[in-house]
Amino acid sequence: MVHLTEEDPNFSDPEDYIDDITDNELLDDVLRRKPKEIDGIDSVIVVDNVPIVEDDRLEKLRNVLTKKFAKIGNIVNQHYPMENGKTKGYIFVEYENREQATSAINEFNNYRLDKQHIFLVNHLSDLDKYASVPDEWEPPEPQPFKDTGNLYDFLMDKDCLDQFSVIYEAGRQTAVYWNSHGKPKLLEERFNWTETEIRWSPSGSYLATFHPKGVALWGGTNFKQIQKFPHEGVQLIDFSPCERYLSTYCPIAENKSKDEPQDIIIWDILTGKRRRGFLCDNATVWPVFKWSYDGRYFARIRDDLLQVYETPSFGLVDKKSIRIKGIRDFNWSPTDNIISYWTPEEENTPARVVLMEIPSKQQLCTKNLFTVADCKMYWQKSGDYLCVKVDRYKGRKIEGKEVKYSAIYHNLNVFRIREKQVPIDTVEVKENIKAFAWEPVGTKFSFIHGEAPRINVSFYNVKKAGSVELMKMFEKKSANLIFWSPQGQFVVLAGLKQMNGILEFIDTSDMTIMSQVEHFMATDVEWDPTGRYVTSSVSYWSHKVDNAFWIWNFQGKLLQKSPLDRFCQFFWRPRPKCLLSDKALKDIKKNMKKYHSKFKLIDIQREEQVSSEQIEKRKKAMQEWTNFCKQTEAKLQKDYQRRRDLRKGFDTDERSDDVEFEEETVEFLVKVEEIVLDEDDE
Amino acid sequence: MKPLLLHGHERSITQIKYNREGDLLFSSAKDQQPNVWFSLNGERLGSFNGHTGAVWCIDVDWETSKFMSGAADNSWRLWDCQTGKQLEILETKSAVRTCGFSFSGNLVFYSNDQAMNQTCELSIYDLRDSNQIQFNKPFLRIPMPESKITSAIWGPYDEFIVTGHDDGTISQWNIADGAIINTEKAHTKPINDLQSSKDSSLLISASKDLTAKLYDLSSLDLLKTYKTDRPVNSASISPCKPHVVLGGGQEARDVTTTSTRVGKFDAKFYHLVFEEEFGRVKGHFGPINSVAFHPDGSGYSSGGEDGYVRVHQFDDSYEDITFEC
Repeated sequence: MVHLTEEDPNFSDPEDYIDDITDNELLDDVLRRKPKEIDGIDSVIVVDNVPIVEDDRLEKLRNVLTKKFAKIGNIVNQHYPMENGKTKGYIFVEYENREQATSAINEFNNYRLDKQHIFLVNHLSDLDKYASVPDEWEPPEPQPFKDTGNLYDFLMDKDCLDQFSVIYEAGRQTAVYWNSHGKPKLLEERFNWTETEIRWSPSGSYLATFHPKGVALWGGTNFKQIQKFPHEGVQLIDFSPCERYLSTYCPIAENKSKDEPQDIIIWDILTGKRRRGFLCDNATVWPVFKWSYDGRYFARIRDDLLQVYETPSFGLVDKKSIRIKGIRDFNWSPTDNIISYWTPEEENTPARVVLMEIPSKQQLCTKNLFTVADCKMYWQKSGDYLCVKVDRYKGRKIEGKEVKYSAIYHNLNVFRIREKQVPIDTVEVKENIKAFAWEPVGTKFSFIHGEAPRINVSFYNVKKAGSVELMKMFEKKSANLIFWSPQGQFVVLAGLKQMNGILEFIDTSDMTIMSQVEHFMATDVEWDPTGRYVTSSVSYWSHKVDNAFWIWNFQGKLLQKSPLDRFCQFFWRPRPKCLLSDKALKDIKKNMKKYHSKFKLIDIQREEQVSSEQIEKRKKAMQEWTNFCKQTEAKLQKDYQRRRDLRKGFDTDERSDDVEFEEETVEFLVKVEEIVLDEDDE
Repeated sequence: MKPLLLHGHERSITQIKYNREGDLLFSSAKDQQPNVWFSLNGERLGSFNGHTGAVWCIDVDWETSKFMSGAADNSWRLWDCQTGKQLEILETKSAVRTCGFSFSGNLVFYSNDQAMNQTCELSIYDLRDSNQIQFNKPFLRIPMPESKITSAIWGPYDEFIVTGHDDGTISQWNIADGAIINTEKAHTKPINDLQSSKDSSLLISASKDLTAKLYDLSSLDLLKTYKTDRPVNSASISPCKPHVVLGGGQEARDVTTTSTRVGKFDAKFYHLVFEEEFGRVKGHFGPINSVAFHPDGSGYSSGGEDGYVRVHQFDDSYEDITFEC
């Protein structure tokens, strides 16, 4: 029972009270939701370039357009301004909200109604913005030049050493080291340099770090910050091969409400300016936009369209997407503006692999294929060859939406890009192909096939005469990945993760296994950009103990083990493309002997220097130690009597210099013998 | 170097110790019987029967007349070395983790583990006063409420005790008044073992934090650090050469996740002064829990999680190991 004896408190203000709290302070959250005038305007779009019609056909136009625009959302209101009995050529459409208006703009801007009428669609609110553009163009203020220093500073090292980056302590520490002859030398170390991981740009000029607010690029002598790209929640990035542009991807939905698409943004690295944003619902296959080798074009697939954009305008090539029915995947050639793509079988048309030149869109070569389940395209890094791995089937079953294939076998179709008419060679493989890799420079390719425990690795050579020849098949290997040296010839077969980290170093010039080693539980393997060193590493991200990276030479000789606490990620810093001509390179190879002796000398000198440094260090340590020992010795001498007293007067020190050996003679009887002398002898 | 394999224990070895002359080797394990062996041929001399729990620690006095052991059966026992008879027993409130004879052999200490209602304590007795053992009245008892003792040894001259703790600190305790003399945050993880050099001037600590460190035993000044890639369970200083040996390996519970082939269970030899590794001895198929140099420096022994004690006699080539300096 409640006692009502207490008086109800009085909540009213006293009479002289003056309210000094503004509504904003009190009700900010409520007020923010208060309808504003702008809301209504924002959901209105203006459609320009609508056909001009007279009264009698207005109804028909209205029907056509309403049908189109209603696809986006509910049309609240629409208005067709009239003048002299004709429409004015533009209309207003009002949607329920701003989001619908925005997507209508995305959908219908530049929409081609018929030959003469291409819609231009804008927000009504934007009209003011465009109207207020001053008639006179004012040149922008020149910005002061920001000197970023020499971005190629890392190439100026006297010994031409390479750099690499490591992340450790579960991501908190990031460091860049010099690989000084297999023994890493610290160059730069920073705490919390990045939130997640780091990336190098394709030529090694920039180091990209990830932060909640966006991406930062670092470079130059001391890794100064060079550029920032604000993109909240960024998860993935991709550099253009020319290092001019950077695309960033953020999957977080709240960005979608803004007018400008924010899912993928492409930035200009030099200016830091945003060049264009794109919508993207699905970035499971990253990069969504693939760049051509020179950064002139980038492209993606959307439904049945291949969208090829050009730089620096960032518009579609020829202002339109290329319609390719069923297009499944595409790749750029690493050295030419050629796109390879494939389309699956459809009713009566066969599956097809096509090489198309950009921007002419001329088809250089098409290959028709039958009974195709899937295709994978592998460009050789020099752009000389393209290998298309075709998964073919003998049987097919359709269960609901899923298509099930049986008795899959593989064809490897090798396109010789540099030869006339692009001839194609085919290799048939009965077993399941687990990994494929081209020799980056050269004519060989290799792949891993078969099922455990019978996993084999085959090496093929693409011969000039028009045949593809099996060079060697290694049987029963523990390998799931192939790593070719960037210079070709040498290859590492790696059985990573579940295969315990078996590494095999093979020289493909004569197909010898140079060494067979193990880095237990290794998760990653990477060649250095010069093809002289290989690192294997166990990353904390996939394995919790024994985190380390090991450096091998190209022959599989272990040079250095570097255990690091909760080591996560290792990357070699890439180098820009070699500027020497083919002839110059050939000359160097020819005169190798001359260089060899020179470098050998340097190597010997360095080794001597290292060992003399070490000896110097040891000398110092020994000196200190001897001094320390002298002191303790003196102390021990002083306390000699004390020790003796504690041990009943015995000397138990037993130090070699004061142990005196006394010679003791012990006599004992060995035996007694009695010999009777013959008396006759006397 | 072909070691003698001592298989007298059924469970993992916890501690091994030579007597002063080095002719005998004492060993304890998680089974209940400490053993004593002839170090020359590996023949077992006898065992000390009585404990009813895992034996964590052992020690022998300088005359090899008395032997002590502490176990998880909440008891500390004193034995006659010659006959193997139990002379004394002290009931404790929790498992006995460390124990030791002083330089003179007159004083003994043991420490007990932190348990539910029991703090870790260091208890010190004088054997000359028979009442102290008989009525379990140590002349000094030092409680360790902060971090439990994981290993401990006597300093020289019966003056102080050095303790290594679960939190990685090393402390010196004056046994005259129980006051702390020195304390040093030596490691970031528990200290598994402390051993002194033969002349009691140096102290080596072995820690789970992958390092072993060398200290001046009386001043606790850090002298050297030996880095490895494994938790270090035990470390020992050679009595005649500037060498140390480190034993360890992945923790027992993680062992199944690592491969023995990779050589994680090697005993590692370091140069005492240069801190450089110069040799490894493999053989155990589990982590090494205890290592000890032979008192004349001619060999060393190791006891492992695998239950074996391996007694090694160095090859002649050991004498030839030199460092250019």
